[in-house]
Amino acid sequence: MKGYFKDMYEAGRSLSIGLALTMRHLFQKTVTMQYPDEKWELPPMAKGQLHNVIEDCIGCDQCANVCPVDCIYIETIKASSDVDLGKTSTGNPKRLHVLRFDIDMAKCCYCALCTVPCPTECLVMTNSYENSVYDRKDLIYHYAEYTPAQAKRLRAETEAKLAAEADTKKKAMEAKKAAAAAAPAAPKPAPKAEADPDSGQEN
Amino acid sequence: MFGLFGTSDSGSARVQAIEKKRFWMEGDDLIVDMSTPFVEHIDEGQDMVINMGPQHPSTHGVLRLELVADGEIVTKCTPHIGYLHRCFEKHAENLPYPEVIPFCDRMDYMASMNQDLAYCVAVEKLLQPKLPERVEYIRVITAELNRIASHLVALGTFGNDAGAITPFLWCFRDREKILDLFEWLAGARMLYNYIWIGGVARDLPDGWVKKATEFLDYFEPKLESLDGLLSFNKIFIERTANVGVIDKDTAIGYGLTGPNLRATGFKWDLRRDDPYSIYDRFDFDVAVGQGDHGPLGSCWERYYVRVRECRESVKILRQALPNIPEGNVMEALPRRVKLPKGEVYVRTEAPKGELGFYIVSDGGGQPFRCKGRSPCFSHVSALDYLCRGVFVADVVLILGSLDVVLGEIDR
Repeated sequence: MKGYFKDMYEAGRSLSIGLALTMRHLFQKTVTMQYPDEKWELPPMAKGQLHNVIEDCIGCDQCANVCPVDCIYIETIKASSDVDLGKTSTGNPKRLHVLRFDIDMAKCCYCALCTVPCPTECLVMTNSYENSVYDRKDLIYHYAEYTPAQAKRLRAETEAKLAAEADTKKKAMEAKKAAAAAAPAAPKPAPKAEADPDSGQEN
Repeated sequence: MFGLFGTSDSGSARVQAIEKKRFWMEGDDLIVDMSTPFVEHIDEGQDMVINMGPQHPSTHGVLRLELVADGEIVTKCTPHIGYLHRCFEKHAENLPYPEVIPFCDRMDYMASMNQDLAYCVAVEKLLQPKLPERVEYIRVITAELNRIASHLVALGTFGNDAGAITPFLWCFRDREKILDLFEWLAGARMLYNYIWIGGVARDLPDGWVKKATEFLDYFEPKLESLDGLLSFNKIFIERTANVGVIDKDTAIGYGLTGPNLRATGFKWDLRRDDPYSIYDRFDFDVAVGQGDHGPLGSCWERYYVRVRECRESVKILRQALPNIPEGNVMEALPRRVKLPKGEVYVRTEAPKGELGFYIVSDGGGQPFRCKGRSPCFSHVSALDYLCRGVFVADVVLILGSLDVVLGEIDR
């Protein structure tokens, strides 16, 4: 009987301690935030939406290599010598057409590993975090300057140009070789014999 | 399934029973037959099979408990895991060492820093980089802060399981401050990818140490008020002090570690007994259950050991924060991580218990095998022992006091 009343007393006492704490809480500043109306300020290095400044991208593919979930898709083609792609803002020369630079934000795990090796610092994580969309396809962000049709045309053109360039280069090399072979007035037949199977292979 | 848990003993009665029931695997397909009860010998007229989870709010994740109840008394409890299996170990075999860290984050998402620390300590044991002092201090500070954050979730949700909503909100309010600190530091709130092999991702921002110290000053009185609000509440004690009692030997037998083992009065803390990083430099006590209310190893003791551990973490932080040496945190970061041939097992004290990583390297840039030893897996295995003969309502409490995270069990 004594224990019963002691328990009751204990319960009442500890309850009143707790209730006093919560009562005190009534007069404190609220800690909640009315989210869509007011937003907190994110720190400058917050990991949010990935963004690529395509003007500065040299298409080096390093970000795609370190991505643990493979959510960056890059397709590039070497620029032909008559096209000057200019330089990035950090001074790196651009030598590749970036035909495709897609980031699938649905797959992205926001680890920011891709931003580390970027040589021109064009791939960054921005502070934007409200990127919900109704269709999952909309989460694939396209950064390339070319539409798929343009990219296809450019690829064909550049490939043809590159082949022509390679061809003229090869011919120049052959001519050089032939000239070099002819110049010593062919006292030794060995280099000529070497040159012949080469040209045969190349043709 | 046997490959997953490392069981090869196909002759044992239990495994045969599983095969007979074709419970998990049929051919190569994953087939979960929910209709067939796992337990055998059910007294049809007497017992009732209750399915608790996987979407039950008190199972703290996607854990399915199959309870055999005789009236209100549970006679058997079978946990079913695997709903959150994301093939961490197989992924790790196909990724370079640094890229495994984001996956480690997602194991125990309540304490990502501790998971990263365990993995990095394991890799560094083979790699042997010369770590700057500053890195070690930053690692200990982030790990201890994250331990507090993880314990706050455990305390709050345990109170919630027992029917007290206010402590839950208070704990989350304080945890939010830690997450703010981490967001400032690592850029993310929960999955940081901050501790890297051979260093940390970036240096402490200006004023971070001051803010962290301010948090400690703010947090210590809050922890005291949690005592008044919940811990020493008579009703709460009556509800939890005699429930789910496990003694020391049984706890060791089941492989319990961390706060759940310390609640039985056994002084075992890997930070003290097998120090890694620079934990041997700090002066702190191992928080153990002291039997203030009810027997040792009860739900209340498991709860209160976590409160005590928060105090010890604050103690470590108070020693570490003012003494961070200067230095470059990036100087030991290797350009390409290539480990020498060998294997290594490192165990660390994560908030949930003993977290180990076993890494086999074949000399390449990717782990040949990466196995995580999850503490929660052992804790769930003790659930059947703890739940026999208790009320159905107490199962919720016992599970809450064990503080399991399914992301870590299933990996």
